[in-house]
Amino acid sequence: VQPPEKPLLAEEWNKLREDFQSPEIFEEVMLNSMIRCNSPIDVAKSLLTHLAKRNGDIAYNVLVKYLTLCVRQGQVSEICDVYDIMKVRFKIIESGAYNLLIKGLSNSDQWRMALTLLEEVKKVMIPSRTCYESCIKAASRHQEMKLAFELYDEMLAKDVVPTLDVLQSFFDFSRGMKDAELQKELFGILLYLRENQIYPHKTFMRSIKLWFESIPGGNWRGHLTNIKHSGQCPVCNHQLEDSNLTEEEYSNLSKRIIKDVIHGTDTFRKTTPQEFEAFQTFVENRLPFDIVIDGLNVSHIKPRKMQCENLFDAVNCLAKENARLLVLGRKHMLVNSSNWKREIMTEMQNKADFFFAENISEDDAFLLYATLRSGKHCKFVTRDFLRDHKACLPDSLTRHLFRKWQRGHQIVLKKCFSSVFSQQPAFCYDCVVQTTGDTWHIPYKDVFEEKYSYQVPRKWLCIQQK
Amino acid sequence: MQSANMLLRKIVRSSVLPFAAQQRVQTDLFPLSRTLSLSLRLKQDKSCEPSEKLDLDEWKKVMKSGLQEEVSETVSEPKELSSLAAARETLEMWRLAGRAVPENISEEQLKTFMECPSKSAKKKYLKYLYLKELHKKKDKRKMDEKRERRLEAQDQASKTDDTKKSSFLCMWSSTMDKAYNWRAAQSMIFGQPLVFDMSYEKEMSVREVKNTVSQIVLSESCNRRSVDPFHIHFCNFKDDSLYHREFIKQYREAWGKLLITVTDQCYTEIFPKDKLIYLTADSPKVMKTFDHDKIYIVGSMVDRSIKTGVSLAQAKRLGLETAALPLEKYLLWSTGAKNLTLDQMMLVLLTLKDTADWKKALEFVPKRKYCGFVNKPVKELKKTLDLISTLKHGRGREEVQRQFAKSYPKK
Repeated sequence: VQPPEKPLLAEEWNKLREDFQSPEIFEEVMLNSMIRCNSPIDVAKSLLTHLAKRNGDIAYNVLVKYLTLCVRQGQVSEICDVYDIMKVRFKIIESGAYNLLIKGLSNSDQWRMALTLLEEVKKVMIPSRTCYESCIKAASRHQEMKLAFELYDEMLAKDVVPTLDVLQSFFDFSRGMKDAELQKELFGILLYLRENQIYPHKTFMRSIKLWFESIPGGNWRGHLTNIKHSGQCPVCNHQLEDSNLTEEEYSNLSKRIIKDVIHGTDTFRKTTPQEFEAFQTFVENRLPFDIVIDGLNVSHIKPRKMQCENLFDAVNCLAKENARLLVLGRKHMLVNSSNWKREIMTEMQNKADFFFAENISEDDAFLLYATLRSGKHCKFVTRDFLRDHKACLPDSLTRHLFRKWQRGHQIVLKKCFSSVFSQQPAFCYDCVVQTTGDTWHIPYKDVFEEKYSYQVPRKWLCIQQK
Repeated sequence: MQSANMLLRKIVRSSVLPFAAQQRVQTDLFPLSRTLSLSLRLKQDKSCEPSEKLDLDEWKKVMKSGLQEEVSETVSEPKELSSLAAARETLEMWRLAGRAVPENISEEQLKTFMECPSKSAKKKYLKYLYLKELHKKKDKRKMDEKRERRLEAQDQASKTDDTKKSSFLCMWSSTMDKAYNWRAAQSMIFGQPLVFDMSYEKEMSVREVKNTVSQIVLSESCNRRSVDPFHIHFCNFKDDSLYHREFIKQYREAWGKLLITVTDQCYTEIFPKDKLIYLTADSPKVMKTFDHDKIYIVGSMVDRSIKTGVSLAQAKRLGLETAALPLEKYLLWSTGAKNLTLDQMMLVLLTLKDTADWKKALEFVPKRKYCGFVNKPVKELKKTLDLISTLKHGRGREEVQRQFAKSYPKK
């Protein structure tokens, strides 16, 4: 239905209602379409008046819809009125209406009232992140940075994840302020990005840059750049952090992989205890390897070639300078077939160590184990993104460690036009927000959308203090 | 003039000029060409009109006025609410706001609701209750209608009052039950065993266990009704487990009289290992024929969050042979997981046992999951598919070569 353009009289509403196919939901439908078309508030008011006169009461959902319209148009006095009415009419107000009220009030000069409402919400439940977002933005808009940061800390303490918008607003509204405490808090946000491996998007990055450059007497300068493959920043010649894990992180990750990925709830789901033991002794006797290859994954690179040929090419391509190779496969590869020629297989086994798992076992888990066991220098080759293995890890911290380790140790083979493979080598530097005190390096995404978790941004913001 | 009048009235009534109808300005009629000026005049009329008729904030007065007494009442009440009561209030408000929330909620359900770990879990649980309530209401309405119709029919029948004499014996359900039970009892002595492995309780949520039990109840009834029933075994069945409690809830006193074998032993202890075949969709082996000498095992598990390889792991641990239904061989699979519900599995197995006809047996796979039966042998199909793909690729290769030649012309 098309909402009318002007307030109507009671009889006119009645008529419209009668013409509507299901009159009992007429008001709801009408208000919905008013919200959609952003109709003038007076029209909605006239509908409410008509309703109130007819029934002597207005249903809660109708009030909420009216509130939505008011919030949309920033009608502060109306929002306050609706709140007053709700307050006396209903014992409590539910979260949807609170969200709306807080959002509506925080954008006005009544923003302090939004804060009191937030307190009210806290009594019954954990406020949503949009509630916090509105309040924090309102506080920082009015230069009450301390209050904003208090709310932000409270939000984190309650495990409510802040939106990038909130984080950005901190930088936007602190521009040009000279305040050591504030500066520390904002550095804290950058470290939050670092710890959670969040990459800011382009506009957010710009806010960060502008804030740095606006610090009075700070002498910060920001440049956009691409980091060289060696991990050196072309602007300040600073070497970025390398992608190696610390000893503690490394052993922690190895333990978790064995415990959660290979064994999980039931060792039999991915392998069998006998097989895993056999594999362990096999690996221990031949340590350390330089490159571990997922044989089956590599053998499917070029679908029109024989599978063992693909593997053969890959092994030849990687077997340089006496690198010790381990190829993981399944037992069916040993059976002479159209895809797996015995001669080629035997020839390959002279160049690399092979381990063949049962046909129903998962070889990926073995790949991870063998690589981790061989030490930090060891790389692995597969095109698999290993997302399902990452998902087996219990907490986000270990998952971040896994991703970091994966970035530093996974080599991806790509098919090329001719018969050679091209490799996408592992990153030797760590792609994360980092600082040395007088420099900051911040990777950023070109677009707002989230990238795949295995992809990392290639563009960087380099900030240095002169 | 008359028709023009009508037309004008129509225009006026349509939403373009809603006020015109109200003010009844049709007394002086203009030809159609002048409607524009008419609407202009209307607007002026409207602006001249005092707005006293339309007090836009009147609803606020109404809302506030009706409440004075109520407010004074509520104030005197103690304000502090227990958490349960507060949750109930919140639910009520959500219901008023038009969310999917049940109208009535029991204390127990309310506790479950509050124990939900996250907001989305809470929402899901409420929606589940809401839909349950909706279905219940609908069923009740249908029952009432049915009863009314039956009463009417009875009335009519008593009026006409002609008793039909039939030469057939009327088979009442108790007689049928006796016949079925007789068959089931025979199957307990001579029938082929079929094992339900009840060792997956830990892998499932409460709701999944409930679903599992209702699926088993369905399959048991299918089995009882069949011509040649299986001898059903519930193995690894722990007393006072969630399974047990749910079975009692479903069967009530009939649980003790069921003609099946329930044991806490494992099937490997009852049957020789080489005769057991574990049916699981993850199995690499595909079942070719139904073997009347083997004992098939079905895992009693509903996994809503597809947990791959759980039952395969169980079979591996015990060193049993496994098999999967040849779904891909006979059906052109379209969507959905390959794991079937327990009652579907039972129907498939029963049909296989009686007819050995895969096509008939796989009729019980839900229609939404496949597009149709494979008529030709799969090998032939594959050949044609290969042919098509090579043709495609062949053309593709030529195109690539042409492109290559274009971009790197020979010097």
